[in-house]
Amino acid sequence: MKNRIFNIIFLSAALILSSCSKELDTTPFSNIDQNNALKTSSDVEGLLVGAYADLGAADLYGGGAFVTADLLGDENEIFWSGTFQGMTQIKNKTIPVDNGFVQNTWTNAYKVINDVNNVLGSIAVVTAAKQDRVEGEAKFIRGSVYFDLVRLFGKAWNDGTPSANDGVPLKLTPTVELNGAADQIPRDKVATVYDQVIKDLTEAETKLPASNGFFATKYSAAAMLARVYLQKGDYAKARDAADRVIKSGKFKLTQANADGIIEEFLYTRAKSEDNTSEDVFAIQVRTTSGTNTFQTFYSELGRGDISINGPHYDLYEPNDLRLNLINGDGYCAKFDNVYGNVHIIRLAEMYLIRAETNKRLSTSVGVAPLVDINIIRNRAGLDLLSAVTLADILKERKIELSFEGFELHDIKRLGVSTGYFTGGDGLPYNSPKLIFPIPKRDRIVNPSLTQNEGY
Amino acid sequence: MRKISIFLIMLLCSTASLIAQTKEVTGKVTDAKNGTPIIGATIKVIGFKNTTTTETDGSFKLNVDGNAKTLEITYVGFTGQTVAISNGLLEVKLQEADRNLSEVVVVGFGTKIKRDLTGSVSKVGAKELNNTPATSFESAIQGRAAGVLVSQQNGKLGQGINIRIRGSASVTAGNEPLYVIDGIPLQNTNLSSNGAGTNSLSDINTNDIESIEILKDASAAAIYGSRASNGVVLITTKKGKNGKSKIEFGYFTGMQKPTGKRDFLDAKEFVDYFRMAAANASRLDPSFDYVAYTESRLKRYSAGNNDYETAKVNTNWQDQAFQDAPISQYDLNFSGGTDKTTFYMGGQVLDQNGIIVRNNLKRYSGRLNLEHKVRDWLSLGVNMSFARTINNRVSNDNAFSTPIQIVAISPITPLIDPRTGLTSGALDLNTGNPNTNYPVYYNPILSVENTKYKTTVNRTIGNLFALATITKGLTFRTEFGMDQLNQNEDQFAGRLTARNQGVPNGAGFNSSDQILNINTNNFFRYVTGFGENHDFDVVAGTSFQKWQIASNFASAEEFPSDSYKKLNAGASKTAATSSASNWALLSYFARANYKFKDRYLLSISGRYDGSSRFGANNRYGFFPAVSAGWILSDEAFLKSSKWLSFLKLKASYGLTGNSEIGNYAARGLYGPNAYGGLGGQSPTQLANPDLKWESTASFDVGIEASAFNRRVTVEVDYYQRQTRDLLLSVDVPSTTGFLSKLQNIGKLENKGIEFTLNTENIITKNFRWSSSLNFSANKNKITNLGGQQIGTLNRAQEGQPLGVFFAKEFAGADPNNGDALYYKNTLNTDGSKDRTTTNNVNEAEDVRIGNPNPDFIYGFRNTFTYKGFDVDVLVQGVHGNQIFNGGGQYMSASGSNGFDNQTRDQLGAWQKPGDITMVPEARLFFANGTDNSSRYISDGSYLRVKAITLGYNLSPKLLSVLHIDRARFYVRGQNLFTITNYKGWDPEVNSDAYADNITQGYDFYSAPQIKTIVFGINIGL
Repeated sequence: MKNRIFNIIFLSAALILSSCSKELDTTPFSNIDQNNALKTSSDVEGLLVGAYADLGAADLYGGGAFVTADLLGDENEIFWSGTFQGMTQIKNKTIPVDNGFVQNTWTNAYKVINDVNNVLGSIAVVTAAKQDRVEGEAKFIRGSVYFDLVRLFGKAWNDGTPSANDGVPLKLTPTVELNGAADQIPRDKVATVYDQVIKDLTEAETKLPASNGFFATKYSAAAMLARVYLQKGDYAKARDAADRVIKSGKFKLTQANADGIIEEFLYTRAKSEDNTSEDVFAIQVRTTSGTNTFQTFYSELGRGDISINGPHYDLYEPNDLRLNLINGDGYCAKFDNVYGNVHIIRLAEMYLIRAETNKRLSTSVGVAPLVDINIIRNRAGLDLLSAVTLADILKERKIELSFEGFELHDIKRLGVSTGYFTGGDGLPYNSPKLIFPIPKRDRIVNPSLTQNEGY
Repeated sequence: MRKISIFLIMLLCSTASLIAQTKEVTGKVTDAKNGTPIIGATIKVIGFKNTTTTETDGSFKLNVDGNAKTLEITYVGFTGQTVAISNGLLEVKLQEADRNLSEVVVVGFGTKIKRDLTGSVSKVGAKELNNTPATSFESAIQGRAAGVLVSQQNGKLGQGINIRIRGSASVTAGNEPLYVIDGIPLQNTNLSSNGAGTNSLSDINTNDIESIEILKDASAAAIYGSRASNGVVLITTKKGKNGKSKIEFGYFTGMQKPTGKRDFLDAKEFVDYFRMAAANASRLDPSFDYVAYTESRLKRYSAGNNDYETAKVNTNWQDQAFQDAPISQYDLNFSGGTDKTTFYMGGQVLDQNGIIVRNNLKRYSGRLNLEHKVRDWLSLGVNMSFARTINNRVSNDNAFSTPIQIVAISPITPLIDPRTGLTSGALDLNTGNPNTNYPVYYNPILSVENTKYKTTVNRTIGNLFALATITKGLTFRTEFGMDQLNQNEDQFAGRLTARNQGVPNGAGFNSSDQILNINTNNFFRYVTGFGENHDFDVVAGTSFQKWQIASNFASAEEFPSDSYKKLNAGASKTAATSSASNWALLSYFARANYKFKDRYLLSISGRYDGSSRFGANNRYGFFPAVSAGWILSDEAFLKSSKWLSFLKLKASYGLTGNSEIGNYAARGLYGPNAYGGLGGQSPTQLANPDLKWESTASFDVGIEASAFNRRVTVEVDYYQRQTRDLLLSVDVPSTTGFLSKLQNIGKLENKGIEFTLNTENIITKNFRWSSSLNFSANKNKITNLGGQQIGTLNRAQEGQPLGVFFAKEFAGADPNNGDALYYKNTLNTDGSKDRTTTNNVNEAEDVRIGNPNPDFIYGFRNTFTYKGFDVDVLVQGVHGNQIFNGGGQYMSASGSNGFDNQTRDQLGAWQKPGDITMVPEARLFFANGTDNSSRYISDGSYLRVKAITLGYNLSPKLLSVLHIDRARFYVRGQNLFTITNYKGWDPEVNSDAYADNITQGYDFYSAPQIKTIVFGINIGL
């Protein structure tokens, strides 16, 4: 009897052990192995969706890349009272090289770039009928992100020689595994990066369809191109790209409601919304995904860290409906919906680009500058002008696009000082303080990265 | 009436003995080993009440009743003896039975007597653990074991406690020891959803624990191989004993308070200070009228009236963060047994309120330990426990809603807004919505009143075992254990928390986790001897463990009203996820102990572990250890020593591993990444198929000695622990799309000494005083990180201890203009440091400004007994570490961050040229010296009276009258006094929102520790 029991024990122990070694081959439940990730067309399309999610990261197109640009470009229009030291440093133009917001913008950008590089690397897996669209979206994302990187981390196009100034490293292939020193890529020149941006966006415009749900369309790419060309002072191409967007007829300005609130910025409650008719491209925020960083910092219903100062109010004419977008406590009310989409490109910007470039070039591609400006003024409830100067156009642009991330970049391309529109006399457009530092963490692991002047 | 009868009985008894005939007995008590007299041995007449103790020459004289037959002679450290009373001198020779050396110590897969131990093991027994008024048993170890640093993050209940045994052995993998209860590895996973870790060890009832053994060196721990680098904590629960069944009842109740508070500005100081800060800001930036702005803000924070001008309202907000905190605990247990069956059954209810508002914890637990001899060769047993812990928690330290952040609110703000009659911030009368700009920050009281966050844990830990004797000396033991943990977190935040939640109509979440951790151990043990001189004790077996978790989480917003608190009422679902994960570990282990001539000891052990976590190329690891001991005092040349009772030298060397990394850390992974309501995916992790065990080679040499009849016992250990192949999350260029990759890169070392001294200072018939001192010093140094630096303030950096603080060196206020100055500390061309100062923080280099690791830690315990009374005092401390106040940039910022109320030391701000001060000029919104710098570092050393117990045991006589076996009353104080230079709430701190391997000694609005006084009673029947 005793022996029998021992036999049973030993046998069962041996059985357990032999099955146990197989137990070491576990399979993840919540993630999947990279070798199984990109096998079908829908896998690659899923990766593209994931790239949009990464594009919408809080410190990138979730709005962070634009809020920081406004803080850095501001002279006297906004008042920062937030407790995030990293933001305070940006507002004060004393940015340490380890600033977390700056670093996140950089690292999130390259994460998206790797996502779309993987999409492009696996484009052959995509169903033939969808290949153009998928490639176009991937290139729209890559071009857009490199554009924002180069204008935040490199010298302005009009500051010295773009072909000699350091831009950002161009990485155009997917990372499947690390490659040691080969991963330590240096910064490409500003002009090289712009060339890549224009190449990507141009190809995207060609390959993308005219309609594509809330994803990037042919016109998202054209609109982004208009923005890029304007930034480098290539007015004719900027004008033509903006004109293509307007002429498509796919978009139309929203109007003010009975309370005098322009519907583009209408806040109902914490609820996700569809794109408006005015959105040429917007990052989608849902209750379950995405972040609207504009809401976080500007909205009184968010952190309410940024309030509006007197010099900004002085820009407006008294009846301007856009004054309704600054609330009684002095907070910008454009972004009060915590689940509101992040408006990246609005049709209004296209009218303004077309007006400015037509004016500068003394042309009337599409319509005359006066017509475009009056479209914007009309929507804002203002009297129509009978003649328009370049200064009028720039002021209209300043008001219409205020707090949407244009301040720093417009100061730079116009070659003026911060506070230009409000009579302030701040830092010159080419001040090294108006350029982000290359993040310290990356310079440690990649010694070939040069640092910007002043850091 | 009853009292009187007891008294009468006592009186009768004593008179009775007086009347009886007596005779005189004399004798002498000596040490059997060397014949030296034993002083202070107790002589007791069996069956009678008279006792005496021996004189300095070992002699005694005693008048005994004529009917007395036997004497009982006892002495600490010796085996007691009974001798028949006879005429003439009684010669009594006591044999050594040192309680330390004959003490049984639990080691992995077996036990050993302490005398034969060659590894380094600390033991904390039930006496030290029992009735500790703390949620979790680790608190009871603090200060009681050399080399074991226990630090509780803060005074919130059931939250993180860090234990470091002989220093930190890892940078990014785990640094907590492995916990094993009755042979079953405990899972210790943090399942908290609020960013502040919980402590799943708090599900264990401390009063169920018989002993805790802490395996510190490789020799002791290597049998747990792959997970033993950070030491192993073996918990053994109570068992029944053969004999009369016992019933024990215990109860204590008391009060708890915070150990410390911080000093903040009062209303008048606040107004004056910010007016000054505003004036200074306007001077620097005339384009904006800071003065008028500040007046309007002061008025706003003064509930919209002018009371601030007269300091009419002067609110001490800090006091609102704390609450009266009663604690009570009830224990009832039964134990006993026959020669075939023993049992222990226990139950406990702990009802503890936190010192922080809205924090409380209730725990109901029960245990059954049963062992039965089925045949003379086969025993079966079960150890089962269950616990239900309900913890009402608060937010993590870095949340506006965490109660301690209330200190930021202006003292001019009233508790109740006179405009609404409601808590300040509750409603804005203009909008009817929660106020978004009054008070200065979200008022945490609104969360106290309108949020619930309940964590419920049901935990079952148990094992079944069988022990079979195959032949003489050969046994086989099989164990099957499980540790099942089900946790549910339920949170609801009502409408008035909108400013904090960011949504108007309530928000809630519900999170569930189910963990099943199963384990089986199967091993043989063979104990034999050859001839007189050779003893063998061999253990060999296998073990398999599998751990799995399944979790889900859902959240919703838009509730119809605050009366609805479950997610079924939330119209907008904001998250719904489920996830799962697992790992498995397969092990083979063996150990052989050999003893030659009872005094030469050798132990060899090895463990071969395979873990699912590692890369296919390096899944298995081998962890051997060897140790030897020599009992010198048994050698002829020392045997005759009059003063030396015991002396042992020991040394050990071995390899242990660490695998506390993510469950799928070696694989290249993609993860879900949804966008706009569509499913998406993206790469999340780089593959590393070569990933392998992090291993630590430990060397330990030690000495154990006792002298003077074992009244003095000393243990000294020196160790070196070299960790290599660190499982390091290595930064990679972010242009790859990834931030880091887990790799085996780097080395670190811990070196240290441990010293324990136990003394029996005074032993007389009625009075006994004994002391126990432990001291340990550990030096941690990272020797190689592959050139990288991890972290910015708290760092892992080559050549430095883990977690070292690096920041600018603060130089105080510029005497000329009040600017914050920093030493540049840049390198000059000649290699020296530039010690000039700058007001541009970017011009200054980061330098080492402090170290969160203490130079040494210590504990000093004294126990006194006098008749029925006993006093036990434990003093504990750490020395030489620094703490960084992460909240300093807000609360001690020269008013330059905004309207955060300031610590009172900010009143010393620079005001006029010539002022020499470390507080820069107050400048509203002009960050003046708020960057991380040595401005916010301070000494974290402390000495704490950790525990004082004053107890009284009822005399045996009274007990027999009352028909109870034992009765004890006590009063116990925990954390009663602390001596420290630290200016914050409490020097035992590490913010629960940031704490990790590297971030140590970082204070961020962390709740202070708990100071407790309880009154208790224990009754045994």
